[in-house]
Amino acid sequence: MIRYKNTFAMLATAVMLTFGTSGAMAAEYTISVWSGGSGPNDNYRIDAIKLAATLLEAEAEVLGEDLKITIEGKPYTQWDEFKQAVTLAAEAGTAPNIVVAGHEDIAAWSQSGLIVPIEDYVDLDSWPINDIYDNLMQISSFNGKVYGLPQDAESRPFFFWKDYMRTIGYSDADINALPAKVQAGDYTLQNVLTDAKKIQDAGLVKPGYGFYPRVSNGPDYWQFYTSFGGQIENSDGKLVFDKAAMTKFYQFFVDAVALGVTRKNHIGTPWDQWYGEVANGKAGLWHGGTWHYARYTKKEGQKDFFGNIQFTLIPAGDAGGKANTLTHPLVYLLTKQADDDAVAIAAELVKIASEPRINTLHAIKSAHLGITRSQSSVDLYSGDRWAREATKRLLPHATAMPNNVSFGQYWEIMWGGLEGSWTGQKSVSDAIADVETELKTTLGDKIVIR
Amino acid sequence: MGNSKHLGLYMLAPAFLFVIVFFLTPVLLTGVFGFTNMSTATGITGGSYMVSQSSMQALKDRHDLSEIAKKLSQVIYTIDEEGLNAAAQEGVDAGTLAELKAGFLGQSFQKRRAVERAIKSLDNRPSSTRAIKKLSALFERSVLNIRYDTEVDLFAAIDKFGLPLSVAEKTAMSDVTYTGWVFTTDNFKRMISLPDTMTTLINTLFYVFVTLIVFNTGFALVLAISTHYMDAASAGFFRSVWLLPRITPPVLYVLMWKWLAWDTGFLSTVLGPLGFEPRNWMLDTPANAWTFIILINGMVGASMGMLIFSSAIKAIPSSLFYASEVDGANRMQQVRHIILPQLRFPILFITSYQTLSLLTSFEYILLATEGGPGGATEVWALTTYLKALSNYAGALEYGYGAALALVLVVVGVFLSILYLKLFDFKTLTAPPKIE
Repeated sequence: MIRYKNTFAMLATAVMLTFGTSGAMAAEYTISVWSGGSGPNDNYRIDAIKLAATLLEAEAEVLGEDLKITIEGKPYTQWDEFKQAVTLAAEAGTAPNIVVAGHEDIAAWSQSGLIVPIEDYVDLDSWPINDIYDNLMQISSFNGKVYGLPQDAESRPFFFWKDYMRTIGYSDADINALPAKVQAGDYTLQNVLTDAKKIQDAGLVKPGYGFYPRVSNGPDYWQFYTSFGGQIENSDGKLVFDKAAMTKFYQFFVDAVALGVTRKNHIGTPWDQWYGEVANGKAGLWHGGTWHYARYTKKEGQKDFFGNIQFTLIPAGDAGGKANTLTHPLVYLLTKQADDDAVAIAAELVKIASEPRINTLHAIKSAHLGITRSQSSVDLYSGDRWAREATKRLLPHATAMPNNVSFGQYWEIMWGGLEGSWTGQKSVSDAIADVETELKTTLGDKIVIR
Repeated sequence: MGNSKHLGLYMLAPAFLFVIVFFLTPVLLTGVFGFTNMSTATGITGGSYMVSQSSMQALKDRHDLSEIAKKLSQVIYTIDEEGLNAAAQEGVDAGTLAELKAGFLGQSFQKRRAVERAIKSLDNRPSSTRAIKKLSALFERSVLNIRYDTEVDLFAAIDKFGLPLSVAEKTAMSDVTYTGWVFTTDNFKRMISLPDTMTTLINTLFYVFVTLIVFNTGFALVLAISTHYMDAASAGFFRSVWLLPRITPPVLYVLMWKWLAWDTGFLSTVLGPLGFEPRNWMLDTPANAWTFIILINGMVGASMGMLIFSSAIKAIPSSLFYASEVDGANRMQQVRHIILPQLRFPILFITSYQTLSLLTSFEYILLATEGGPGGATEVWALTTYLKALSNYAGALEYGYGAALALVLVVVGVFLSILYLKLFDFKTLTAPPKIE
């Protein structure tokens, strides 16, 4: 028996040595990260994961493990090509480990099983997850499960060129009071049209440049639907098509064209041209996103942003509507992989990348807003006037698009109707009737029409 | 000799293979996909069964089974013997399990977070988050948000959860919890009921036939005939110039057109001093957009016809031209009575080939106007691409896109047959009567 015991001990030692040796061998992972809608200022969407990898390797070393992580990043500037690439790669079984996508993608991608819930891999009570704003965690969840962690937050302000406002009769005090006036609903989209017309008539900007909106489809346009009291999703989780609000929203852009303050062929204007123009006083009033600050002040050379530009919420459409802004956080999502260990590593990296200091690098470089409470005590963040003021003035009023499987279809249909009426291809009533027909046939009982 | 009999077949085999792999299979798959509701949300490879908040909402709305929906919407984690035994078998530390049993046996939790907090409160708690996750999963007793590969697995789990379902309830449950695609004819109903379908169809016919008649055949003929009467060097030069659009990469080629048309582009700059307001000439009106689209496509398309027609004209015996000149025929008469009759077959070929090619081509429109302004230049193939493979919201509808593509296949086949009849293909390919 003793002999057997010895033999067993020797065997066990041999096994341990073997395992010990293999344990000492480096565990190597290659984690791929693809990010959508990412320009040159958004490099930290991927670089934050690289920083996280360095930290995770150090943590592993402390525990006596040898961990090697290689990060392969791929930024996409356009959303359509990014979403196409991710979905088709996933169908082909070659999805990247981490995707940085819009939160509205969670619903469809979770139903198809393309992504897995991050809450299955990370402790939601742990830091920095417990420091992330609750509403952002909510936006990153679907069906009661936390699918991703927010990568950034932002909101979409309305901009005014101060000099032109002064020329048409606004005093400095009036201009300073605009944010509060817009928030209270005392300055509406009808005032926008009037002021844009005045600016144009005074010869300050070229015709069609009085009100100079976004040049392509984007979440921004839902703000105008909200401005006129429209609701996108009800409390039962069903999409809502509010005909009256949608009609007023389309009519507003048609009116802007009829008044000559917005061009009929505005959609499709090159982005580079648009940025250059709005940042340098070629337009009177316009709307954009918090991240535009980075573009205006860097590439477009706007040296005195706060001196030249006022920003507010998107004004209410009329007395029934409300001033609002939309936040469209991007989220780090984990795709389903054959190797569950790689998913766990990816989850850890995302968690570390969400730490306040690392996230602040992205927030300040790209002029997005922070995701955690303690970012306001990170010097780099608190020292930035734009981050401070935009957070305070806009974020408390921000709504988000819903996480709903059918929302993408609704969005495309809404845009088709807006484009049709804006460019004069259809009357507003025809566009609304077509949108209604299309929603009914496409979404059936998944949308409430009222 | 016996072997060489089949040589032709062997030689053609690779071509057959290519036709099967790259033509027949995609067409067949398009046919199948067209009758499904495949999309980003359903995936392509098949679905699973999952009880979720959304599917339980559907169970209430569509099947009026709110009681079952309410019960299944609960999250329950219970520390029970079954879970503890399973954990022991997985090799979880005995101390951890003993402590868990002593402190929490019989307790239920409504959230995963809660049971994990219980686990983390143990002195012998697992050190890593992953180990905690693995341990907590063993005590999950509800079915919410779990993916089951088959409905049998799902029903077994619901049964174990303590909620036996009737046959009708199972059918309803299967309907709402399935995450994959199903066969349906809804795509075609939707296509017919949508107001924009007719606009797109008219756009497509306009685009195909105007480009075809004006440029791909008409202008190509003009080029081929006019260069025929030039001396060889000038003819070569002009033909090369007309080939340039075809050999320029499409993205660059369209970008040059955009530079021409943008608010800050060439046209606006040149026309500015003449009193024209700068504008995006390409997207200004649907008529402008169409003019650009047809020019962009036509400039590329004309070169192919030009080459084919030129070589066909070269093949006409020069004696025919000499004889006609002796008879006093002028050039118009030569074109009318010698060239055009000899070009019947090339014209048939170019017309049918270019019709099919234009029907399915959308890349220049996508790059130039993206179907704008307001969908005015959206053609069938572009709609198909945007619905199925590329849109801003990422709502890719493979099934609906395939149904749209299927219509193109049918129209293409129909037009091919029509052309063959119209140009009397049999007579064209009949052996010469003299021989």
